[in-house]
Amino acid sequence: MAENLRIAVPKGSLFADAVELLTKAGLDTTGLADPGRKLIISNPGVDFIIVRPTDAPVFCAYGGADCGMCGKDTLVEADLNVMEMVDLKFGGCRFIVAEPEDAAGRAEQVYERTGSLRVATKYPAITQRFFAAQGKQVDVIKMHGNIELAPITGMADYIVDITATGRTLRENKLRIVDEVLESTARFIASPASARTDERVRALAAKLEELAAQQNEVKVTAGGEGK
Amino acid sequence: MIPTTPRGFRDCLPTEAAWRQAVDRRVRDSFAAWGYLPIETPTLERLEVLELAGALSDTPFRFFDSDNNLLALRPDCTLPAARLTALRLRGKEAPFRLCYSQRVFREQGSLYGEDREFTQMGIEFIGGTGAMADAEVICMLFDALSAAGVRDFTVALGTVKVLNALVAGAGGDELWQAAVRDAFHSSDFVAVDGLSTAEGIRPVYGRAIKELNRIRGGLEAIERCRELVEPLGCDDGLDQLEAVFKLVSSTEEAGTLLVDFSVISSFDYYTGIVFKAYAPGLGQSLGSGGRYDTTLEAFGRKEPAAGFALGLERVMQALEAQGAQPPSVRPDAVVTPLEGETPEQTFARAAQLRREGKRVVIGGER
Repeated sequence: MAENLRIAVPKGSLFADAVELLTKAGLDTTGLADPGRKLIISNPGVDFIIVRPTDAPVFCAYGGADCGMCGKDTLVEADLNVMEMVDLKFGGCRFIVAEPEDAAGRAEQVYERTGSLRVATKYPAITQRFFAAQGKQVDVIKMHGNIELAPITGMADYIVDITATGRTLRENKLRIVDEVLESTARFIASPASARTDERVRALAAKLEELAAQQNEVKVTAGGEGK
Repeated sequence: MIPTTPRGFRDCLPTEAAWRQAVDRRVRDSFAAWGYLPIETPTLERLEVLELAGALSDTPFRFFDSDNNLLALRPDCTLPAARLTALRLRGKEAPFRLCYSQRVFREQGSLYGEDREFTQMGIEFIGGTGAMADAEVICMLFDALSAAGVRDFTVALGTVKVLNALVAGAGGDELWQAAVRDAFHSSDFVAVDGLSTAEGIRPVYGRAIKELNRIRGGLEAIERCRELVEPLGCDDGLDQLEAVFKLVSSTEEAGTLLVDFSVISSFDYYTGIVFKAYAPGLGQSLGSGGRYDTTLEAFGRKEPAAGFALGLERVMQALEAQGAQPPSVRPDAVVTPLEGETPEQTFARAAQLRREGKRVVIGGER
């Protein structure tokens, strides 16, 4: 194959673990750990394209990259045609449903009466899917941050959000009422590259081997802290 | 107001339109070379008729006409071809070798950057079965891509029979089986792996399901698959797959044929071979096809069938990516009226050149 293998590497909280895993997999990651302002790091045989995690599936679906890494939650939200190949066992986070502690089942009552609930979230697709699987009709209110304000201000009955330690929820007097999804980082590929480029398959196999050696999922170091 | 086209619908200017026509013509000629005959079906279909074969996987444009009939813009050509066969070829004996080049329409949410209207060029081989019929359809895909001018393409080939047998024998309930089908449908192999080790699943079957989508290659891949599934009695379809692989490989020189069980995506539709064509640089497939022996029955005529459809727009993207050049749209000659010539004489000169096969523009103003 004359052209470099193009890998979409996610910025932010997944970046360090992604770089570590790619290095362990035997790729030349010189310059990748400290890219500065560069968005593409080109080494012999491989191009690393540094992307926002939510964009990794976009690059793979539209042919901008051969493969990449991103969270399972990103994949559900993006809903694009990519091949999900390996659970990389890092970037672990939990998606939960929460309501105000003092609501004490009020949401269920609302649901009984009106057949509908308001759920505020940054992740509308994940939320919709979750409640649809339960047969529940919900009105999803998409927000971009500080989701915990929604039930506090009476704008929503529930929130669907990520939690690591639960501290933010506790501080805002919210209680977890259900588990939605355990998300971890995944290795994904464009359907064409996965089927025509041996290097993608070889990398997937190597990453799978490395992930299997890990006994437990690495939880993401996000705003929650430890 | 700026007179734009609707989102997902575009105009084609002359250079592109001429190129599309040239490619379309070459592909249709390649279908004719195998003895396939053209059909045309209406742009609109009754939604309830389309849904006879099951829930539509592609979202069609739907609307009511003035008689309050619920209609859909055709989202594909295979279902209309099946309807045509059941309705208009009743009383005629199979096999039927049909081909088409038609626009299809699919609704999708905005911000996906996709056309909502595109052209499908494809074939339906109705009434044929066995390795030779399967191979015919795949060879035609190779020939169509070569005729279009696409160099360097890969066709990934699998069969749903093996996976169906493994899923049936694994000991999982309806919910589990549906989850496995969904996981394959969305190419979520992490989910497949997870499901293969779920509680209650017979480990030997689970392992085979997990391994299956990692098997790819040439004839040796079919061998590896055989070793994996024969002990479980799930090797039905592999002999035929091998025969098809050998037949296509011996006939076709351009392009690459690879066995790859991960191509299986819709198994409530396909009943045998499944295949997808790819070109380097494009993220999605150029086209796909397979065998669907139960589809026609839903329309009222029991016949096995196999076929494929290529997306003209995707083929054009592949040609662009490989640096192919569009044909020239410039005329071969420009005839301008000469001093003292009558318009009749000018026209006559142009007509003579056209008779010689040239493209002539009559220029000038007199």
